[in-house]
Amino acid sequence: MAIQDIFQAVMTFDEASVKKLVQAELEAKTDIDAILNEGLIGAMDEVGKKFSEGELFVPEMLMAAQAMKSGLEILKPHLAEGAAESKGTVVIGTVKGDLHDIGKNLVAMMMEGAGFNVIDLGVDVDAAKFVAAAKDNKARVVALSALLTTTMPAMQTTINAIREAGLTVKTIVGGAPVTQAFADQIKADGYSDDAPGAVELARRLIAA
Amino acid sequence: MYDRMQTLTQDQMTRIHDAAMDILGTTGIAFNEDEALSIFKANGFKVDGKIVFITEAQVRNALKTTPSRFTITARNPEKNVAVGEDDFVFVPGYGAPFVTLTNGEQREATMEDYDNFCKLIQTSKHIDMNGFMMVEPSDVPADTAHLDMIFSNIILCDKPFMGSPVSKQGAKDCVDMAAIIWGGIEKLKAVGPVTVSLINSLSPLQFSDEMAGSLIELARANQACVIASLIMAGSSGPVTLSGVLALQTAEILAGVTLAQLVNPGAPVIYGSTSSAMDMKTGGLSIGCPELSVVVSATAQMARFYNLPSRSGGGLTDAHFPDAQAGVESTLALTTAARNGINFILHANGILGSYISMSYEKFLIDEELCGITRRLLKPMEVTSSSIDVEMIKAVGIGGQYLTQPKTFQLCRTEFYLTDFMNRQNHAGWKAAGKKRIDEFAVDRLGQRLAAYEKPDIDPAIEAALTEFVTRRKKG
Repeated sequence: MAIQDIFQAVMTFDEASVKKLVQAELEAKTDIDAILNEGLIGAMDEVGKKFSEGELFVPEMLMAAQAMKSGLEILKPHLAEGAAESKGTVVIGTVKGDLHDIGKNLVAMMMEGAGFNVIDLGVDVDAAKFVAAAKDNKARVVALSALLTTTMPAMQTTINAIREAGLTVKTIVGGAPVTQAFADQIKADGYSDDAPGAVELARRLIAA
Repeated sequence: MYDRMQTLTQDQMTRIHDAAMDILGTTGIAFNEDEALSIFKANGFKVDGKIVFITEAQVRNALKTTPSRFTITARNPEKNVAVGEDDFVFVPGYGAPFVTLTNGEQREATMEDYDNFCKLIQTSKHIDMNGFMMVEPSDVPADTAHLDMIFSNIILCDKPFMGSPVSKQGAKDCVDMAAIIWGGIEKLKAVGPVTVSLINSLSPLQFSDEMAGSLIELARANQACVIASLIMAGSSGPVTLSGVLALQTAEILAGVTLAQLVNPGAPVIYGSTSSAMDMKTGGLSIGCPELSVVVSATAQMARFYNLPSRSGGGLTDAHFPDAQAGVESTLALTTAARNGINFILHANGILGSYISMSYEKFLIDEELCGITRRLLKPMEVTSSSIDVEMIKAVGIGGQYLTQPKTFQLCRTEFYLTDFMNRQNHAGWKAAGKKRIDEFAVDRLGQRLAAYEKPDIDPAIEAALTEFVTRRKKG
């Protein structure tokens, strides 16, 4: 079962093998959706689970995500139109005034690993930019990050701007000082205190 | 003197220094602040966009004018403190958005909490200075909160206090308020530092506009600044601690250089609270042993440059003042004190990797500060302190309890605690079997009840009130 080999190669952070195996499966005319969902994304789900359990460390998780992405690059030209967006597009960034991006980068990588199409707007992103990116990319989720209490109000501003623009996109928030209570207060659709949780949250909200 | 903790040799420090110089000279460092860039340019530094390149000669030139020790003047001169060389201060926790409740839950901090901490500092035997942003008050507007905090610092407590680095304007407000106490900006400059402000780099290799702007404003007014890195080894800096030391040194010396260009002789402190990223979660760990290794190396690197040093104090990742909090805080605080750190910030109160302040832990850590000072008190070794004659007189198998010397010194010779349990089991049981955090709850009430507002010239208080009111109106 060669798809299982792809799964294993991602689990062992072996980028070169992932590339080789994905290429071989393509040539063998294996179902592309199976390669993607059972091989690449399936492995990243397992990686996320192992990370949440404390069994895998952050740098290992990121190496796995990188291996997965290199396989995805090979698949992309062969995916049916829109298949890459099938899981949905997530727009992510650190809110206005906040330059901290370690946590945000972690979430973005995990989201990509889970098969979402991720638009990373970087740091210090104002509300208008989030709105425009969500609109232009038909995003299903907008993910906002903040490390400073002084920039948390910008989450409120951004969510308000998204609603005022009439977008139905789901909003999720996270960062060290952010709490579920704060998320409820600013009427965000969800909150998670870690990266794998954010992935689960995005899945749930898109499925809802 | 033998201490197993000898983190760096002279040769290793030189290597770290050389690496830092290489980084500053070839990669440079970004200052996202226009005035900082023009100051560097005006002094002949190579600047490309926002990136400033600094040569070793330029760094050494800056270090020629940095004081190795300075006094921070309090509005009550009895409470002046010195920072640098052999002198060190304990300064409370900083920057926590939450307060931890006695049941382990957290709530948002308020201005009332901030004022309570000012009162606890005023009544503290062991904490030498008032802080800034000991908690972030959530119930006052964020853009003017610094005015409220500085006002409370001055009015509720007469010890020296930490200043405001929230923005260029915020730093200017702090200077203007200090000038009201000391009779104008020129007099304030002549007095020298009455505040110490915390200027953080944004690792790797950046200074934000707020921080660079504050640094310029404060250095100009001859106010002291801690220039500090908080590198998370493995994410915002190298995974190896020697790499972290090279990177933090580059960042700190860039800030030191800017301060000296603005005002040669401006008091600056080499600061670090760099630590490890927890590889399992991606979160910052400040309870880990690596933090204390960096603390020790930071003290050494600061001495290498003849600068006073700053590190964290009673730091922990625990969310409750439990045994983990006690273990981790003691390790970090005693490492800082024993290794010669001069400005020990976060000496008391912090829980959960800086996320929260705890009143109970504030008091427990305060006791630890007292104990640590006792630990470092030089031992008197004289013929009178040894008193061989008394030992001979008591002789073999005698006792010392009834010796006049024992009677004379029974209240002063040992560290007195009215906080740590010293009762036997029966006594402890009779007193309600209290854990130290439970005991601290009772003590907190007594301490706040015993607080008395220190005297201040009513004209100064009125002028400060008027200043804050006017600034709040914009």
